[in-house]
Amino acid sequence: MNTNFLFKHLKFLATATICYGLLLLANYTLDRYTLYIIALIGIYAIATSSLNLTNGYTGLFSLGHAGFMAIGAYVSTLLTFPVRLRIAYNLPLLPRFLGGPEFQWPFLPALIMGGLMAAIGALLVGIPVLRLRGHYLSVASLGFMVIVTTLAKGLKDITRGAAGIQAIPHYANLWWIYGWLIITVYVIWRLLDSSYGRAMLAIRESEIAAQAQGINVTYYKITAFVTSAFFAGVAGGLYAHFARSIRPYEFSFSMTFYVVIMLIIGGSGTLLGPIIGATTITALKYALKPIEEGLKIYGLVEVIYAILLIVVMLWWPQGIAGGITFLKVLLLKRKKGGEENVRISAGKADGA
Amino acid sequence: MLTYIAQQMVNGFVLGSMYALLALGMTVVYGILRLVNFAHGGLVTIGAFIFFYALSVLKINFALTLVLAVLSGACLGFLLDFVAYRKLRGGPEVALLITSLGVYIFIENITKLLASPQPYAFRPPPLFLQRFTFKGIIFSNTDIFIVIAAVVIMVTFAVFVKRTKLGIAMRATAERIETARLMGINTNKVIVTAFVLGSAIATITGFMWGAKYGQISYDMGFMAGVKAFVATVIGGVGSIPGAMVGGFLLGFAEILLVGALPAGFAEYRDAFVFTILLIVLLLRPTGLMGRKEAL
Amino acid sequence: MSLLKVNNLHVAYGKIPAVTDLSFAVNDGQIVALVGANGAGKSTVLKTIVGVVKPISGSIFFSGTDITSWSADRRVRAGIVLVPEGRQIFTTLSVYENLLVGAYHRRDEQLRHDFEWVYTLFPVLKERAHQTAGTLSGGEQQMLALGRALMARPKLLLLDEPSLGLAPLVVREIYQMITNICKTGITVLLVEQNINIIIHLVDYVYVMQTGELKLHGTPQEVFTGEDIKRAYLGG
Repeated sequence: MNTNFLFKHLKFLATATICYGLLLLANYTLDRYTLYIIALIGIYAIATSSLNLTNGYTGLFSLGHAGFMAIGAYVSTLLTFPVRLRIAYNLPLLPRFLGGPEFQWPFLPALIMGGLMAAIGALLVGIPVLRLRGHYLSVASLGFMVIVTTLAKGLKDITRGAAGIQAIPHYANLWWIYGWLIITVYVIWRLLDSSYGRAMLAIRESEIAAQAQGINVTYYKITAFVTSAFFAGVAGGLYAHFARSIRPYEFSFSMTFYVVIMLIIGGSGTLLGPIIGATTITALKYALKPIEEGLKIYGLVEVIYAILLIVVMLWWPQGIAGGITFLKVLLLKRKKGGEENVRISAGKADGA
Repeated sequence: MLTYIAQQMVNGFVLGSMYALLALGMTVVYGILRLVNFAHGGLVTIGAFIFFYALSVLKINFALTLVLAVLSGACLGFLLDFVAYRKLRGGPEVALLITSLGVYIFIENITKLLASPQPYAFRPPPLFLQRFTFKGIIFSNTDIFIVIAAVVIMVTFAVFVKRTKLGIAMRATAERIETARLMGINTNKVIVTAFVLGSAIATITGFMWGAKYGQISYDMGFMAGVKAFVATVIGGVGSIPGAMVGGFLLGFAEILLVGALPAGFAEYRDAFVFTILLIVLLLRPTGLMGRKEAL
Repeated sequence: MSLLKVNNLHVAYGKIPAVTDLSFAVNDGQIVALVGANGAGKSTVLKTIVGVVKPISGSIFFSGTDITSWSADRRVRAGIVLVPEGRQIFTTLSVYENLLVGAYHRRDEQLRHDFEWVYTLFPVLKERAHQTAGTLSGGEQQMLALGRALMARPKLLLLDEPSLGLAPLVVREIYQMITNICKTGITVLLVEQNINIIIHLVDYVYVMQTGELKLHGTPQEVFTGEDIKRAYLGG
């Protein structure tokens, strides 16, 4: 048991090191624009992976992800914003209990605080709503997102309203982003490999059956929801400190939809799926952007996304990652000529 | 002061009628499929744009436009079910939800693409703009149209569902779809009818929305769809009268909230709607008249 | 000739077999019972006959015609009607509407006569014609379910556990009505766990256990001998 544990961790560590190695290579060889996209992919991968925890593994269809990202973005920004610029940009100084007017937070604690605040938001929304049926959660979480963005627009003294916040210090770079991605994937992986994970999968299959087995369904749902929100908040914070500018409308339904579609197309319920999805969709977006701008057909990218989503839902609901597993099993079957269990397992670090 | 309150009551009634109709359109599908049809909002947008093009661009007269729009809406509803939802019937609920989301995004962005990212000024036929004053309360022909049309549609629908064979079949299917099949009811036909009716209603609501707010845009369907759902939840999911009651209540609540609070809070209007939703879900998830669903 | 003939039926839910190599027949005008312990597959047989469940292999003949590939609503139109387990009446519809729905697939003009017929058989339903079905008692709901099935003008009436959840006195009433129904020429195939009630009422019995047909014969043949009873039905 112990050696297995060690072995799995070593595999994970190896994968992480390779990933970092590739990043180093990319950093020295690729141009700034491509690196920018790679960084964005990383951020979306974190957001999508965290959404995977609720939507993919626990079977809760949350539509409020952008709201958690918004909380993370704004909270971390308001904490780290340089003191000398605050007055110039009409941003408030920090109150005493947060460090006082002369203080600005270092990046890591601010980022974590952003995640924590998002997690608390999830707790507040989750407790009443998670005991209800699927579509209630969907619309309620959507509502939460709207409330968050409305507050961001409305509390002008704190957030600068619809104008948003610019000139955010550029703390987040490739290393930070992918470092956090590795942490996110690690946490989700360990969570799934534990009794928590089994409970979540049981809930996804059948809530009633899970309850009959004595699983405290609401407790596990809330855990999944809160954890997912934490990492979404972190993703938001990373986004703010990478793109250096945030506006309330960026965290609207479009953002949630992007993350959802990355999850579905990448393959929900797998560890690699979100990452594949984030890569594919972001790459697609930036490939199509010049066409959209050139021909002035705004909305083209989203139309293609929507069509992709519908097509995937109808014919290929396991997404790309599911497809890869399917192929793997197919090849294995040819080699061994025997029966294989096609269930997508949640316990591997390198999913594909 | 009294006039102010009376005016707000009238405004609330008009808005409520529109919301009630929205909720009805959504509940028709929800009752049978247990699907929150996100695409419903999209159909409202399409309805509004059809009216816009027919009235302002092609200059077709209103009565003809009404007929055309309703027929188009009905066809679209049928198409929607056929293309996107039919294959997923009997599968997990979430799948339908996600797909309906995809359909909405598709509709929203194709409208953005084909029409424009900018909102259009919506000008109903001049007759609609006529205003009246009665004891200090101002209302227009649009308001009258909204209320009357909403009432007519709701009453017609109620009669349809109570008196006609197909209507009763719909109610039976909404309660127990498997047993309905055992009775020889063609549940496919019932589902298609639900989509067709719901979409036709959505189309008309699109006109009302445009006429009331004076402008239409590619993303107007989002809040329309959401408010439809909130009204449904307030009134009680799965209950047709409940949906309509919920719509009225939501309309009143919105007007009262916006009227009662200082001017700076007007932009919180949408957030109010969701706060109401969360409160209802917290206190009484089955709504006022809803049947007890497995939550 | 048999009204219903089932040949070598194999039914499974996914990988789990429910009915294995089942063959039996029901003759015109009979009341036949399908008995067995829980999980024996009895309900599955009824559902397969009415077309809601599709068999893996085997065939079903109705009045000499092979109906194995027919859809459920086609079978209903042909006169095979099921009163499902737990009654499953439409609680949000009125009694009258429930009965109307029962006759949904029929296009003929006889409707009024049939309403009168059902109301004569079950006077309670006439009393409560416009009441919401959900407000009826258990026994009344069973009568409604029966009435609703009768509205479909069945030739073969399938009853899945009609006594379930009902008080003993009510059960006797219900079975009296079932006998009356049979007297009007309708063939009845019923599934029942409580064999004591039906011993004297049915013409023929099929005993199932874990999906297979174990025993059949007249009630006298099947139910004499305590050991047989105990062996197959748990006493």
